Amino acid sequence: MISLIKNELTKIFAKKASWIYIIILFLAVIAVGILQQKVFDLGPSDPNWREDVQAEINEYQKILKENPEDEWTMELIQQNQSYLDENIDPNAYSSWHFMNGTVIGMTMLITLFSVIVGSAVVSSEFADGTIKQLLIRPHRRWEILLSKYIATLIYSFSLLVALIIFGYIVGLVLFGAGDFNTKFFETTLDGYKLAVVGDQFVLKVLYYLPSLLIIVSIAFMLSTIFKSQALAVGIGIFVLFLSSTLGGIIVMIAEKFAWAKLLIFPHLDLTVYALQDHILQDVTLPMSLLILAVYYIIFMVLTFIFFQKRDIII
Amino acid sequence: MTKKALEVRSLTKKVKNKVIVDDVSFEVEKGEIFGLLGPNGAGKTTIIRMIVSLIGRTKGEVIVNGYHTDEQFKKSMSEMGAIVENPEFYKYMSGYKNLKHYANMATNEVTEERIKEVVKLVGLENAVHQKVKTYSLGMRQRLGVAQALLHNPSLLILDEPTNGLDPQGIREFRDYLRSLTKQGISVIVSSHLLSEMELMCDRFAIIEKGKLIHVSSINQLASQEQFVPTVLFEVSDVNQAFELLKEQQLTNDWKVVEGQQQFSIKIDKETIADVNQLLVSKGIKVYSIHPITTTLEDRFLELTGKGEKGGKNE
Repeated sequence: MISLIKNELTKIFAKKASWIYIIILFLAVIAVGILQQKVFDLGPSDPNWREDVQAEINEYQKILKENPEDEWTMELIQQNQSYLDENIDPNAYSSWHFMNGTVIGMTMLITLFSVIVGSAVVSSEFADGTIKQLLIRPHRRWEILLSKYIATLIYSFSLLVALIIFGYIVGLVLFGAGDFNTKFFETTLDGYKLAVVGDQFVLKVLYYLPSLLIIVSIAFMLSTIFKSQALAVGIGIFVLFLSSTLGGIIVMIAEKFAWAKLLIFPHLDLTVYALQDHILQDVTLPMSLLILAVYYIIFMVLTFIFFQKRDIII
Repeated sequence: MTKKALEVRSLTKKVKNKVIVDDVSFEVEKGEIFGLLGPNGAGKTTIIRMIVSLIGRTKGEVIVNGYHTDEQFKKSMSEMGAIVENPEFYKYMSGYKNLKHYANMATNEVTEERIKEVVKLVGLENAVHQKVKTYSLGMRQRLGVAQALLHNPSLLILDEPTNGLDPQGIREFRDYLRSLTKQGISVIVSSHLLSEMELMCDRFAIIEKGKLIHVSSINQLASQEQFVPTVLFEVSDVNQAFELLKEQQLTNDWKVVEGQQQFSIKIDKETIADVNQLLVSKGIKVYSIHPITTTLEDRFLELTGKGEKGGKNE
């Protein structure tokens, strides 16, 4: 089995595209990092930040005197006040803020590249006709498919590790070393919540893993069943980008029909749980994980049964 | 009793009630080159794909060197090396890496020396480190043979192996197969070209519409004792000759050549003399007698039922 997985990894990394994706990932991290530093002028904490925040509060209070009913201004004052109370510089930006914001955002690219590579792993063997040379070896078909699946996951995981290491280095160079335990206010759907930046980052990475696994598995399944990379990549990306949109629609449907909660789309992005405890009114993390697990098992069983039975006639 | 290199028993393939291969059985001896001959679409490739387990069998058994493919899958598969139709490779890798890839999949260890040995055997020493996409069809064919031989199989299965080879290449290939059988390797080749089979095989099976309709050695098929030749007589009176021969019940496969005083019948060597004597004794002049030698080609067409229609089998 190990030798089969090694073979599959050799094939993945023998393709130029697999390396190009890593390079694109690096370039994207650098580009966004520089953009944030130069254009948005993000950087380390200013020693006089408390005075600036206090000045801002005074400004808002003047506005409030003229307009005592302005809720928006009241909220801004409250927010600035909590910066002072918790001693958090709202404009401080360090390598860990970069990790929690930008690097996490970049995982979208990892999913995208994993979908492309994962769907090519099986379908390209069909397209090139090499599948028949591969399946006349003394290995069961499921072993060969499993080795391909594991190789795909290893590639995805390597991308993620590369992103994290590279993101940290870029963050360090551009924004300076930050404290892992720095407190900050994370913007959520309900407003903002107090959190520790390093914890948030780790939490989001952990919540990202199941989504990555599921979407790569969907792409892998489609490419096994349809033998077509284009179709698998197409549907994979469709699922990836529409899951957030569909998720929104499903939130509305779920208010009327309980079964809509069982659809896969609202559960694909678990990083939401890093910001809030529940989605769709009453769905919590264990529930989401359970639903994903059921889908995952169905997808895997389908993929392997299909591949085991298929007649290779190309 | 020594084990056969391959035993195929009642191999049957049905797809949606359509019988593609119908109850085919044959055996291949050790060190023998066995041919599967038949027009395109007769089911040769389907038979080969069932032997190497690329497609499922509706019915039937395959036993390779004593190992049953259903019960001892891995053992039976490691006894076989195959090229199924055109050999396909990972074009983005070198020939050597392709071979290494397949070597890793063998159950017995394939050493570096073995890879070099096989590369030398097929004469690819100079090109083996180039990417496969630079290879000519002939070179790919040779690399195909190399990958099939890597793990020292006892049975080599080659589907249309001479496709795309020039006459020189075909000749070399033939000599090469001969040298392999001297080492005790058995070979199955399929082809739709009789002339090729004639030169290459010890025995062959004729496949027509999914059925095995004839198995024989090349010598048997051509042998004049086995098959009664057709003899052409040129006489002064065809009708009178017919009456005479009818009395003697010698009008086997009687045919008159229109417009000429000629007829042909199927009789053996001794009977030719008897017929001649009979005709002469009754006053019919015999101008000429000559046997029409049945070529292997005619015999093949006769067996596949295309000779009468004058259909030409490519």
